[in-house]
Amino acid sequence: MKRILANIFLAFFVAGVLVPLLWVLWSSVKAGDRILAAPWELPRIDAFHWENYGAAWDKAGIGQAFANSLVVTLASLVILLPISAMAAYVLAKYPFRGSKLIQTLFMGQMMFPHFLVIVPLFFLLRDMHVLDTMTGLVAVYVAYSLSFTIFVLGGFFQALPNELMEAAMIDGCSHSKTFWRIMMPLAKPGLVVVGIFVGIGLWNEYSLALVLMPSAQNKTLPLGIANLTMTQQYQSDWGALFAGLVIVMAPVLVVYWFYRDKIHEAMLAGAIKG
Amino acid sequence: MDRKGRTSFIVSFLAPAVLVYGWFVVWPFIQAIQFSAFRWRGLSMNRKFVGAENFVKLGQDDVFWKAIGNNLWIFAVCGAAIVVLAVGVAHALRGGGVAAKVLRSVYLFPQVISLVAVAVLWQFIFNPQGLLNAGLRLLGLNNPPTWLGDPSLALAAVGVAFSWYVLGFYIMLFAAGIQSIPDEVFEAAELDGSKGFHRFWTLTWPLLWSVKRVAVVYLVINVMNIFALVLLMTRGGPDRKSEVMLTYLYEQAFTNSQFGYATAMAIGNFAVILALSLAIMFVFRRDPTLRRA
Repeated sequence: MKRILANIFLAFFVAGVLVPLLWVLWSSVKAGDRILAAPWELPRIDAFHWENYGAAWDKAGIGQAFANSLVVTLASLVILLPISAMAAYVLAKYPFRGSKLIQTLFMGQMMFPHFLVIVPLFFLLRDMHVLDTMTGLVAVYVAYSLSFTIFVLGGFFQALPNELMEAAMIDGCSHSKTFWRIMMPLAKPGLVVVGIFVGIGLWNEYSLALVLMPSAQNKTLPLGIANLTMTQQYQSDWGALFAGLVIVMAPVLVVYWFYRDKIHEAMLAGAIKG
Repeated sequence: MDRKGRTSFIVSFLAPAVLVYGWFVVWPFIQAIQFSAFRWRGLSMNRKFVGAENFVKLGQDDVFWKAIGNNLWIFAVCGAAIVVLAVGVAHALRGGGVAAKVLRSVYLFPQVISLVAVAVLWQFIFNPQGLLNAGLRLLGLNNPPTWLGDPSLALAAVGVAFSWYVLGFYIMLFAAGIQSIPDEVFEAAELDGSKGFHRFWTLTWPLLWSVKRVAVVYLVINVMNIFALVLLMTRGGPDRKSEVMLTYLYEQAFTNSQFGYATAMAIGNFAVILALSLAIMFVFRRDPTLRRA
């Protein structure tokens, strides 16, 4: 009896999570003017309005925004992961005078909100002539992901036995060769998890992109979606917007689904120790 | 080990991260403190040192206080609701069953999707013709409120969207906390005749002490950083009824070009977060379970 009640209670939350998401999904294949005219009406199986996706992708510029987001996210990860791994490795395995201080400084960014630095950051990028460019956004994304990435990877490197390093060095590997040939491959599971976790965050990122990409060009997907709500306001045809919502959410949910246990662990580790 | 190459190895491996971090994180942080003491509209020639003037102005700015009040309202009301719901769900998840299994795999969905998507989605749920009102009409309520357009409901509606977005994270925290309590503890309580709500209140709840502390600190951080939800759902309206600190900051900086003032506001926002976090650390300073041991 108690178990049944508990399950009814939980089923209520399952519905609370899924109904809004399913609503977006089924609305995205309805005629645009029916979305708010009859929100609970299901789309007709024989008459899916796939053209909403075409309208979002081409006319509303979501395709371009998708490509921009992909470039920004991947470029950030390609730069972030090696430089964080190098720093995390040295901080974990090569203690020196001041290494604790550097480690503490690296953690500092996790303590303050991005908005604290948003105005100086805006002018820093402007003066470097990279405001409104993907280069500038990638640089900022890398910089503001360093703390978390170094923190998590540090844990991974710490757990690798020192004997491995020593054996490699005795065999004639230099410090850096030991890192690239032996330690880096061993830390791969950690790199994958952090990469996915940080990648999801960057794919979704809005506030920094909003400020650092003020004009309409080169906009990332979240900016594109936010723009679409403004531009479509006067047409009461919401098909393209709902298709756009599916386009921004689907990749993340698919990736999450495949790595959910790992992501879960990373989130928990970051939340409780961080 | 080879000591000769050690120093140059350390320097070369740390250098990229240190340089990027120093230039894009540490330097703007220092500048933020500096900026807050200037009256500045973004043209480099026109920077005037005004000392603490921005902070004095901030103290007298009714909109800023209103915004802090709104942040605190969400923290108190939604925070309490989130903790209660998260603990309840985490507790029910222990029991197992089909619904528990399904919920376990979906409860983080809202947390991993884009906040922009969450904001747009809830904007349409709360739309006068949206999913919610259509549902209410189907149930026979013919004059449902306009939610986001209603001065007395806009903030609460944003709070609902916020709670939907973050709840999964707190379920995760409390589920981990409850899982870390050994089964023997529950069995021993059972033998002593402690069951149901009594067992929860005297055993589980106090044992969740450290998780509660983490959760409340995260709530402070999450709530004080609310930005995109409000900007996209209500723009702080109607009549600033749902304005929060960061949307007001954004308006001052990037609409009114009051960059010095906005930076002072950012420091104010950070100070609120620090003060509340310290207060929480003080409230939760003693582990209640240690007294018993």
